[in-house]
Amino acid sequence: MTKKNKIIRAILFIILVIFAIYTIMPIFWVFVTSLKTAEEARSFPPTLIPKEVTFQNYQLLLQDEQMMRSFLNSIIVAVPATLLCVIISALAAFAFSRYKFRGKKQLLAGVMGIFMIPITMNTIPLYLIFQRMGLLDTYAGVILAYQVLIIPLNIFILKNHFDTIPVSLEEAAALDGATTMQRFTKVIMPLSWPGLSISFIFTFRFAWNEFVLPMILISSPSKTVFQVAMYRFLGLYSIDWGLLSAAIVIGMIPILIIIIFFQRQLLQGIQAGSIKG
Amino acid sequence: MQKKKWMPFLLLLPALAIMFFLMIFPVFWNLTISMHDVKTTNINDVWPFVGFQNWVKIFQDEYFLQSLKVTLFFVLGSVFFQIFIGFLIARILIERVWGTKFFRVLFILPWLLSATIVGFSWQWMYNDYFGLINGMLMRLGMQPVNWISDPNMALISLLIANIWFGTPFSILFQESSLLTIDRSLYEAAKIDGANPLQSFFNITLPLLAPFLGINLILTSMWSVNLFDLQLVLTGGGPLMSTTTASLYMYKQGFEQGNLSIGAAIGIVLLIINLTVSFLYLRALRGEEA
Repeated sequence: MTKKNKIIRAILFIILVIFAIYTIMPIFWVFVTSLKTAEEARSFPPTLIPKEVTFQNYQLLLQDEQMMRSFLNSIIVAVPATLLCVIISALAAFAFSRYKFRGKKQLLAGVMGIFMIPITMNTIPLYLIFQRMGLLDTYAGVILAYQVLIIPLNIFILKNHFDTIPVSLEEAAALDGATTMQRFTKVIMPLSWPGLSISFIFTFRFAWNEFVLPMILISSPSKTVFQVAMYRFLGLYSIDWGLLSAAIVIGMIPILIIIIFFQRQLLQGIQAGSIKG
Repeated sequence: MQKKKWMPFLLLLPALAIMFFLMIFPVFWNLTISMHDVKTTNINDVWPFVGFQNWVKIFQDEYFLQSLKVTLFFVLGSVFFQIFIGFLIARILIERVWGTKFFRVLFILPWLLSATIVGFSWQWMYNDYFGLINGMLMRLGMQPVNWISDPNMALISLLIANIWFGTPFSILFQESSLLTIDRSLYEAAKIDGANPLQSFFNITLPLLAPFLGINLILTSMWSVNLFDLQLVLTGGGPLMSTTTASLYMYKQGFEQGNLSIGAAIGIVLLIINLTVSFLYLRALRGEEA
């Protein structure tokens, strides 16, 4: 490596480090605050490392039935919503990738166009539709509503990935008498893990984080999801920064778990070029 | 292989049904709501028909017009910096300097969090007295800044938080696209005596253009529609300086209960999204030709 190259690499590395500090700072700050006592969180000037590490904020939260219940509710809703959404999108992507039919190009463009509808605005009609279907204040209703969050992007990601799988593999399977569904489940799906992982992570991200839909569609406190409970919690304890920070950290846990356990799949997905539409 | 003609439609049916009933149909329902006087209080009664009154009302409402200006600044700023920084970081990441695997995973994190969490975290960063940023500024002997309590500063602070929130997606997207470009093209260009800038404009940009288009559209739409970040970070204040049209829609519809006004603003947002996407697509098509 030449000396000039080394200097360029060092500069690039420094840019990455600066961006990393920007990325990590707010998360680090919330995490540090969650370990402080209420007094230290409101001390001036602020301390970067807690003088006295305490878990009292987490203890208080774990005793808060509403928050814990809402965390469980979020899992009850987000996991099936994610699975359902990826399956539905994968079927559609399979059709777009493997079949020729009239109006395909226009339909694909239309799917992308649907992404432009602000979901917040659709909440009122959804409320009215679900009211007529008796789906208000039910988990099933929320799971169904969550389907709208990311289907278009999923279809694009998965179609793109399916396109990279040689058709010859399926033709071989078809000669052996495989049905369409078997080709889909036995050939396409197992070969698509990088694309599917990206799709799972993205979908879960939307389902876990959604705020307006569950706020409007769910009315009983026992069925509230975490994001809504947390928003109300923020209003309730607006000065107890330590406690609020602990709530935020708990809200990050599922996302951190995903990052830690799926980082390999995520990196593979990026490298396979699965994310571009 | 394609014996059954109805097969693709069967496969598409669940996705299309959901998109039609839960996305497209509600838009038309919203159009109806915007032409009636619907409030949270009379939602289950008969809706009085008012024609275009709500539409006239919003375009005479100076707060709404102000929120459109805020939206313009917020969206332009978000899109420009998210795409620009996203490209810069993605470009560096594919160079495989030290620790790229670690950086790659770390950089995705903000985008995976919820707007509520991001809003709170940044509110706590920006806090006038106990926030980390002012704490560090004062430790360095500088004046503290009223990041979110100064009406002239709040929108910029919001923008910084949203760049933090949204850039990871652009990094992911662009990195994934850059990796599909055949590296040998660059080597060939180098042999022909092209400098890095020429390679960028003659190889990278044209090959990246279609993906860049989708990235631009997604980033713009997310910025136009985003409201929960503002809601938690600043509540739209001070003096409505951070109330974007999307947040105004939420406040009118859900906090004030003026569902008709909310629906009308929602349709304005949809029109903005469609126009912006159309312009991007046209610009990109122009570039290809």
